[in-house]
Amino acid sequence: MKNLFLLVVLCLFSAALCAQNPPLTRFTLQGRAVDTASAPLASSTVMLLSAKDSSLVNFTRTNDTGTFSFKNIKAGNYVLKISFVGFIPYNQVIKPTGDAVVDLGELKMKPITRELMEVVVRTAKAPLTIKGDTIEYNASSFKVPPGSTVEDLLRKLPGVQVDQDGNIRAQGQEVKKVTVDGKSFFGDDPKLATKNIQAEAITKVQVFNDKTEQAKLTGIDDGKKEKTVNLELKEEFKKGGFGKVTAGAGPASNNVSTRYEGKGSYNKFNSKRQFSALLLGNNSNQQGLSFNDYQDFRGSNSFNWNDNADFGFSGYTQYISFGDDNESLTIPISGGNGRGFSRNMAGGLNYNYDTKTTKLSTSYYFNQTRLQLDALRNNKRYLPGSTVLSTTDTSNQANLNTNHRVSLRFEKQLDSLQTLIVISNGRFGFSSSDLQSTQRVFQNVAATNEVPTTLSRTLNNSSANQFNMANTLLYRLKFKKKGRSFGASATYQINKNDGDLLLKARNEFFQATNVNDMLRVLNQDQGTNSLSNQYKANLLYAEPFAKKFFWETFYNFNLRYDEVDRDVANLDDSRRQIDSLSLYYKNNYLFNRLGSSIRYSFKGLNISAGLAGQQFQLDGKFARDQTQPLQSIRRTYTTVIPNIGLNYSMKNNRSLGAGYNVGVQIPSSRDLQPVSTNTNPLYITQGNPDLLPQLNHNINLSFNYFNPGSFITFWSNIYGTYYVNQIVYSQTYDPQTLIQTTMPENLTGGRNLGTYLYFGFPLKKTKATLNLNTQLNFGHNLTRINKILNETNNENYTVGARLELTPKDWFTFYGNANVSVGNTRYSINTTQNQTIYNNSFRGDLNLKLPGSIYLNTSLNYSVYKNEKLGFNQQIPILNSSLYHILGKAKKAEIRLSAYDLLNRNVVVSQYAGQNYTNTERIQSLARYFLLSFTYNMRGVQDKMRRDGY
Amino acid sequence: MKKLLIILGLLIGPVAMAQKTDGVVTYVRKEHWFKIINRLPFLSQEQKDRESQTFKNFEENDKGIKMKLAFSPNESLYTYFSDEPEEGGYSWRKSEFLLYRNFEKDKKTDIIEMLGKTYIIDDSLHAPVWKIGNQIKDVAGYICMKAETQDPIKKQKITAWFAQDIPVPAGPERLNGLPGLILELDINDGDAVIEATNVTFKPLTPDDLKLPKQKGKKITDADYDALIKQRIEENITAHRNPYGWGGVRY
Repeated sequence: MKNLFLLVVLCLFSAALCAQNPPLTRFTLQGRAVDTASAPLASSTVMLLSAKDSSLVNFTRTNDTGTFSFKNIKAGNYVLKISFVGFIPYNQVIKPTGDAVVDLGELKMKPITRELMEVVVRTAKAPLTIKGDTIEYNASSFKVPPGSTVEDLLRKLPGVQVDQDGNIRAQGQEVKKVTVDGKSFFGDDPKLATKNIQAEAITKVQVFNDKTEQAKLTGIDDGKKEKTVNLELKEEFKKGGFGKVTAGAGPASNNVSTRYEGKGSYNKFNSKRQFSALLLGNNSNQQGLSFNDYQDFRGSNSFNWNDNADFGFSGYTQYISFGDDNESLTIPISGGNGRGFSRNMAGGLNYNYDTKTTKLSTSYYFNQTRLQLDALRNNKRYLPGSTVLSTTDTSNQANLNTNHRVSLRFEKQLDSLQTLIVISNGRFGFSSSDLQSTQRVFQNVAATNEVPTTLSRTLNNSSANQFNMANTLLYRLKFKKKGRSFGASATYQINKNDGDLLLKARNEFFQATNVNDMLRVLNQDQGTNSLSNQYKANLLYAEPFAKKFFWETFYNFNLRYDEVDRDVANLDDSRRQIDSLSLYYKNNYLFNRLGSSIRYSFKGLNISAGLAGQQFQLDGKFARDQTQPLQSIRRTYTTVIPNIGLNYSMKNNRSLGAGYNVGVQIPSSRDLQPVSTNTNPLYITQGNPDLLPQLNHNINLSFNYFNPGSFITFWSNIYGTYYVNQIVYSQTYDPQTLIQTTMPENLTGGRNLGTYLYFGFPLKKTKATLNLNTQLNFGHNLTRINKILNETNNENYTVGARLELTPKDWFTFYGNANVSVGNTRYSINTTQNQTIYNNSFRGDLNLKLPGSIYLNTSLNYSVYKNEKLGFNQQIPILNSSLYHILGKAKKAEIRLSAYDLLNRNVVVSQYAGQNYTNTERIQSLARYFLLSFTYNMRGVQDKMRRDGY
Repeated sequence: MKKLLIILGLLIGPVAMAQKTDGVVTYVRKEHWFKIINRLPFLSQEQKDRESQTFKNFEENDKGIKMKLAFSPNESLYTYFSDEPEEGGYSWRKSEFLLYRNFEKDKKTDIIEMLGKTYIIDDSLHAPVWKIGNQIKDVAGYICMKAETQDPIKKQKITAWFAQDIPVPAGPERLNGLPGLILELDINDGDAVIEATNVTFKPLTPDDLKLPKQKGKKITDADYDALIKQRIEENITAHRNPYGWGGVRY
């Protein structure tokens, strides 16, 4: 009543105002929100929206009596919206009336049916869309068991009834039509769609009144409406597929035959399944898959975190494991460094099935490489005093390598806390090799002339069949208590290798004083069968305490059983077994480790310290042949190893890392057996039963910084290793034949220290970037040579720079320079101290020419130098390719490539080791041309920019 | 009977309302990074598909980052839920991120560490222009209405769901100015979702709304927008993801 009085007064007052100022610019809007029974709705939200675009202009709340008012509103068109929990939002268009006060009076709000509120909004959490008086909602929020049809889903929806025959009624009316994505589904029967489509493929069910077919046809609205249900399919359920094919060929030239390259792949997927097929073949030294090919092939199974079943001290960096736990079992990525001439073939199939709780991946991959390798190798060994042995080895080799790989990975989420993973990877491999080699050894004493000492011609034919398999079962359990977890795993691994080597060698020793020693001819059949079975079991338990601390404990059990049978027969002596070269052994390795660590983790700081006790037990038996009595070797090594780690991420993208750990390397059974082998007659290896395990004490320290604002990156690290009881192969030389015998022994005192620095910054943002890096490495290696301890000091200095110029869309340039200097000093023969230079310079130029034509040119200039050896090789490799992207859709590309235009390709490497230097030159595929065509269903992209983002 | 209930509701209503203006909301923020990658204009369809196909299972394991919003009718503070390490125990540092709002004084103070610096944005509220929709849904037990706006700098479609019966204009991230508390934010149709998991009503202590002492570069909203705009453009030109680690918050 009071309100009414006020209202009247206000009305009169404003009417008076109106009379004075006709163009009214401001007004007051008021009203009262009530329910259908006129009871006030207090604290309703009242919003004033612009009529033009529903943008919020002002808002208020109703008071206890349900009244509201907006004062001083600019004259204009508005929409008044009132909302109250449980009611259909009220909308009213407000047009200027010219009155100073617009009173809307009682605004009645209709309740939303309880069914809708409870079932749709509260339980299914589906949003309601209100269009006038009709309410729509999203049906995908309704949970139905997997495998349910749309019909089952419709039964759950409020306001929808489905009878036994599948007839549908919505809001009391019969549904005449069901459409899918707005289109009719197989004729007129609405049941066809609802009975055949899976509920999980549906994102939305819309029930609405559609015009009749008659009205649609004639265009005349007959006013009749048909109840229609429209089903919208989920985006990801729309199946996809893509493929890519490249084929290229080039003429024979330059003494090489016709070149060819071909690669094709096809992928098919939906939200759960991924299927891919791949086939490639070439004779252009492309051996493996590129990283992108690998990702396209394996799909969602390319990378799997948490597949490591061998628990240990927790790492401070997350490891990436490429799905499988044994490298030789996985699909090779890249690989082949362009050495020699290779013909390659590979192909495979991959299938992944992924749901929230089940993930399955299977693959088969086949690859074959035929490699022709002509190599010239030089080796110099420095003996005590001033003796130098030089070996030149000219060889040619033909290898054939075939592998079949199968993989399976199955992951099951048993419930919200338990996960089970099964991984199985297998490889069947066949390889054969024919090797012809001529080795010449020269002796040089005190810089006098070189004297030839040995000439050895070898002809090796080898073949091997391999079978490797690793099967892992991994169980992880989380607990209700945050951070507490348990893991258990079991692995069975088998490695089987049956190899055969036919060795023909003719060795002439020029300095021999005894006639018998002057010529040795070998004609042997060396057969080696080896079988290794490995059983592993691991446990892990992590317990959080005091909020910021974690206590982790792990136990590893590992039992390996090896059996090796090596029979060497003399083919010139009616296949009589040569006992001195034959060997049979059986080994049991038993490894037990129990470790525990404590970690503090808070605000980016993680510090951990732990200790593990480990015991190796070796129980080996060996003889020259299994028919002979077996000798036994028993060893038990017990060690305690510490582990300390620190990782601290600091403000503004800086991070600090530090760690200390001890690695233990156990002598191999072969190294412990007091027998010798002579696969290469000039090098004999012998075992040492007194060997102890090697300990590597490792420390590392790193600091990284990255500024995403200024694009500045800085990385640095220092690493060092100190060796205790390092297993080093000591060398003794027969003074007459100069045959080298190596035997492992323990030496303490070897060490290595290195550092790496990287600094990248923009010269001009987005246009030019410069990266500088340097790596320094200092090594101190020990070897005993003819019983004299040699200390070799290596100093390696590498400096690199990389310039990226991306000034224009049509011009990019990438330049690289790397200069590496290695100084090597030998304590036993200081006259042989030497310096090795490995320098490389590379430039990549990309140009976009008019008409979708692109040019890529790269020059790679490598310099290998060792003045002491008089070695100086400079190799410029110039590659260029011109390509044109075809058509508007940009799905095809035609490319003309020229490799090694200067025809200078030789693969070179050089290395200075403990008391030796090696250089190697391999004749490799040089100048060739290729014309290729690519079709990619998803479009071809130009290669103006390097990958990576 | 129904009437009686409503009347009863109305009687209790004001009492309940009085308490329903102070408290703490817990949110979970999840970014769907391959959806974000799919928007990068410099990537080819092949590269986008490769990311989606390879990493499609990764999102399931993403538990998101827990955030909290302390609110009262006049003030709010939005920041991380806690500094404790996530599940699994390893602690990653979270970049500084605290957003303080004062609705009464039309003031805000944001402490945001990004792009290699800590910025302090002191300005008035500058609420976006909201468009109110016709949809309602339940978020964390509250019936919310839909509102939409556009981020003019990041060119994102932002959908907010605000509670009909929590009359506080606060919200998560840098968004506010609706007739009710924002309980869910959806950026670009699910690229990033910030969803309330729990709302607790309690009187706030001054500590709940206190900003820590923090050094940083003081800037205004306009500076902030200009900075973000420039960095996004630079990154796109340099073929980098501007929303990556240490970069612009999506």
